[in-house]
Amino acid sequence: MLWIAFHCPTLSLDWIERRFPVALIPAMAATIRKGNQVYIRQANKPAQQRGVMAHQPLASALSIFPDLVVVEHDPNEEMKALQEAAYAAFRFTPHVVMQGSGLIAEVSGSLKLFGGLKKLCRLLNQAVAAQGLQLCVGVAPTARGAWLLAQSAPLRTVINGAGSRFRSLLDALPIHLLESAQPYLEVIRGIGCRTLADLRQLPRSGLARRFGPDLLTELDRACGDSPDPQRWLEVPEYFQQKTELMAHVESIELIWIPVQRMIGQMYGWLSLRHAAVLEFSFILHHEYSLRQPHKSTPITIRLSEQSDDPEHLMLLLRERLGRMKIAAPICGLELIADQIIAGTNPDLELFPTSQSETTSLNRFIEKVSSRFGPQTIIGLNVIPDHRPECSQRFQPFQPLKMNRASNTPRGKVIPSASASSLTRPVWLMAAPLQLKVQRHRPVYGSPLKLIGNPERIEAGWWDDAPIARDYFIAKNKLGQVLWVYREHDPAARSNSPGNNNWYLQGLFG
Amino acid sequence: MSTPAFSSSPLAPLSLSQIETRFRDRIWRGDALGASPDQVVSSGFNELDKALPGGGWSPHSLTELLLPAEGLGEIRLLSPSLEQITRNGRNILLVSPPHIPYMHAWENLNIDSRYIVMVSVDKPAERLWVIEQGIKSAAFGAVIGWLPDISQQMTRRLQIIARTAASLIFLFRPVNAQFEPSAASLRILLGSVRQHMLSLLLLKRRGIPVDLPIYIALPQTRRFSNSPAPIPALAC
Repeated sequence: MLWIAFHCPTLSLDWIERRFPVALIPAMAATIRKGNQVYIRQANKPAQQRGVMAHQPLASALSIFPDLVVVEHDPNEEMKALQEAAYAAFRFTPHVVMQGSGLIAEVSGSLKLFGGLKKLCRLLNQAVAAQGLQLCVGVAPTARGAWLLAQSAPLRTVINGAGSRFRSLLDALPIHLLESAQPYLEVIRGIGCRTLADLRQLPRSGLARRFGPDLLTELDRACGDSPDPQRWLEVPEYFQQKTELMAHVESIELIWIPVQRMIGQMYGWLSLRHAAVLEFSFILHHEYSLRQPHKSTPITIRLSEQSDDPEHLMLLLRERLGRMKIAAPICGLELIADQIIAGTNPDLELFPTSQSETTSLNRFIEKVSSRFGPQTIIGLNVIPDHRPECSQRFQPFQPLKMNRASNTPRGKVIPSASASSLTRPVWLMAAPLQLKVQRHRPVYGSPLKLIGNPERIEAGWWDDAPIARDYFIAKNKLGQVLWVYREHDPAARSNSPGNNNWYLQGLFG
Repeated sequence: MSTPAFSSSPLAPLSLSQIETRFRDRIWRGDALGASPDQVVSSGFNELDKALPGGGWSPHSLTELLLPAEGLGEIRLLSPSLEQITRNGRNILLVSPPHIPYMHAWENLNIDSRYIVMVSVDKPAERLWVIEQGIKSAAFGAVIGWLPDISQQMTRRLQIIARTAASLIFLFRPVNAQFEPSAASLRILLGSVRQHMLSLLLLKRRGIPVDLPIYIALPQTRRFSNSPAPIPALAC
């Protein structure tokens, strides 16, 4: 067994600081009630610079710095923040224990996948710290040992007690870290014990009689001499996380960090369930008032293919958020995994196959359509019709189904036997362009020279867009080969001879 | 490969041929046509293949095609390679083509229209973004973009991204871009000679520069005939 413990010494402030945009964090202090006095439990950096210190009575702190933002110690909120951090840690291991003001993760099963202890420890640390917590990390072969090491570590450092160093590191730890020794600290110090090693040298029966059996048990568990059952953190069957913001935010940039955290949590939750998300909702909550009737803006993103890649989800969300207008200041965010599918990520294939090619095409389509809207990405559908305007249809592009593309010989659909044998230009104008006529010759760039055999298309009498045209292939001095036509309407021509009813419809690219 | 003379006295100057044999893979002589280490896609025209480094269109690099006007036969020039790509079941991305591609004609060139993906966006930055995403995506066998105005930095950026790409990348640019510097490793000025004949002047390639344009005969779509048509408009 190998345990990594994350201790968050400043948790009583971290849970609220993480809801502020970084630049707006005020001088804050968390308070705790002792008897009928309120004391400062913890003060953050800006507050410390103003002279506010831990263990100060609140009244004296306020007299030093009247603008201090005071937060009451709130174990529930702290727990929630830790739980969110635990979600992020699930990406690396399913075994996570909540422990006081920190987390302990059992990682022996994940070492190989993430490339060794050092790498895993770094990744795990990054993932948990990205949730807005300040951490001290301890690594040890026992859960309790890792926890004690983490508590003794300075902020943002790792004490690695894996291997032979474990016992010596553990022995050197001060006694006040032991939870069950708290009531007896004075006495223990009085009998000359400072470190865990000192305590272990004392006779066990005497220790148990004086300080109760818990102290011995804790000591044994830390050393790995007695079993230490753990209660793994269990997660609900659905994913729904809500984050309140401590500021009213109107720009996407400022909510981006909480968004990243929430996606990180969803990612962890998905990895725990070996699932991928197919549809998720992101809801922006606005502050409701009579003047501002927008309560929330929901954004639902449906993926064309399940994904558990946080980068991809983030990109989609970012493009979508960038495209929309924020109706009112945002005061809360919510992320819900609406639809998930069990299964592994197809991206983990060793060699790219046509399956992964379809995946990347789907990804591409999603990226483009979340940035510019689905109408920008177009596939063209061939329709058997003689009229050029009607012979193809724009539609949202649909990738070919796999079995059609690879396995079965593709029965090539010839749009219409007659059309395929005819000369058609590669480019069509969006609308036929009326050409000027000089000396009875149509002009496009220069007077055109007709080179191809004429072709008459008369069709469409059955619907509202009948055409009667004589098509020619023409060429100008620039070398462009053009597809031009002339309205074929004998009645009209006899009425006004020499009218310029020449149109350019296509280019032979 | 190490010569005994060299290993005994490391300071002895090497002859040119010795250096060349020793560092064969790492030295590229300017007078030789650049070889492409990776698989190229034949352009389908012998004359052109001979002139292209590596003997065909190379993925991992940007190809710029400078075009005086649409409709010279630019798609017919690419059609043999595009045909090959769709036959292998890979997609083609068209980014903001100037006109609507007429699928019947593409089908006539044996390009399977079901593999053609078109994205139409307007602004140069948006086009660039789509092209970038297309290059990065593994889904496309060819990315063809129309970029009327694009700066040198942008081409450099694309060229760097293109190094990791697995698709052919063609950029159609206007003719006046030939006087601007560009990071594309292959730049070709297209021109029309006469019907079904295209002149290609390789402005830039990996290897000795070429002065003379290459003339290639385009694949004839059916029923082009050279006989002048009877012109009813002029008759009356």
